[in-house]
Amino acid sequence: MNTSIQDIADLSEFQEDNCKKFVDRIIKTNREVFMMSSLIEKQMCGYDLIKEIFSKCDVFLSQGTVYPVLYTLEGEGLLHAEYSKGDMRSKNYSLTLKGRKIAEKDIDDFSRALEQVSLLLKR
Amino acid sequence: MLKNTISGLDKILFDDIPKGSVILVTGAEGTLKSGLVFSMMANYISANDEHGLYVTLEQNIESHLRNMNSLGIREERGLHIFDYRDMRLEWMDSELDLIKTTEEVIDSYKEKYDNLTLFALDSLNALYSISDQENMRSKIYNFFSHLRDEELTSFLIMESAQSRISGQFSSSHQVEHFLADGTIELGMIEGSGGVKRYIQILKMRATKHAMEKHQIIISDKGLNILGPIY
Ligand SMILES: Nc1ncnc2c1ncn2[C@@H]1O[C@H](COP(=O)(O)OP(=O)(O)O)[C@@H](O)[C@H]1O
Ligand SMILES: [Mg+2]
Repeated sequence: MNTSIQDIADLSEFQEDNCKKFVDRIIKTNREVFMMSSLIEKQMCGYDLIKEIFSKCDVFLSQGTVYPVLYTLEGEGLLHAEYSKGDMRSKNYSLTLKGRKIAEKDIDDFSRALEQVSLLLKR
Repeated sequence: MLKNTISGLDKILFDDIPKGSVILVTGAEGTLKSGLVFSMMANYISANDEHGLYVTLEQNIESHLRNMNSLGIREERGLHIFDYRDMRLEWMDSELDLIKTTEEVIDSYKEKYDNLTLFALDSLNALYSISDQENMRSKIYNFFSHLRDEELTSFLIMESAQSRISGQFSSSHQVEHFLADGTIELGMIEGSGGVKRYIQILKMRATKHAMEKHQIIISDKGLNILGPIY
């Protein structure tokens, strides 16, 4: 059977799509880690955070999945929120000391978990 | 049990509200809809090791709590309040699908607290008014199904003009009444002794309940349901 260039192109596109689908799912279910990771660098409001993760990871975390996480993390004392000066329209979140420690540990644990998973599959 | 959450509620509810029911709470403005639902939830949460989610579109968290405080109803740790203030300041309405967003908000809290058992939406009218009106009937149907799938006992507040004539719901909200497992109506009536607030259970599937309007008052210990009004 002849494999045309088109078939190969289709297959690699499929693989890319499929891979993207898995990445999408991983980021969405572990959005807490990705959100905290973004907040390590700078303080942001929900809107900025969604845009940032979209431009960095090409994954759109919808509003209904992001704001509840911000509020519960704030409630747990991991995030600190304040309205930006002169602009009551955006509430900026930054990591508290406790939040930063947990974020760093979570990022570490999460990365190791991903490595472990890929090792498991290579056996 | 929910029927123990408000003093006198057992005068109108003889069995408990079945878990996972979707209940409509209707009435005109100022008839204690928010107060009744929030106080049932807060008292339930404080007596049980469970979590609840109160989503408010009508008011932001601070003004909702001020309102509850004035009614003698206190905040409860496990009762999470979610408002759309930040979201609506940061995004344009056209960028938000509020029905889908509300479902995601519920799922997010459910992920975080696996013993989330109670949900309230204050109010359905507000949710509708800022949603894209296309295919509304199927959206409402799916929203109710979502609540049932999540096995949440849910209170959906629906503001109604005093337009219910002899048991006929205003036609615009028939879908909700049909889909809901129960309807609690709150209102005010003018009698010989002045204006009285009432609560009436119009429907509650699989539950023994009274039909009469009962007086409901605000005491310094919160809401209190007294005898039938006639
Ligand atoms: N301390 C109070 N004493 C008596 N009535 C009060 C008090 N605080 C608020 N109210 C009444 O409660 C009403 C608000 O109740 P609420 O549950 O918010 O009504 P709804 O949600 O149906 O609009 C007010 O309109 C007012 O009539
Ligand atoms: Mg209200």
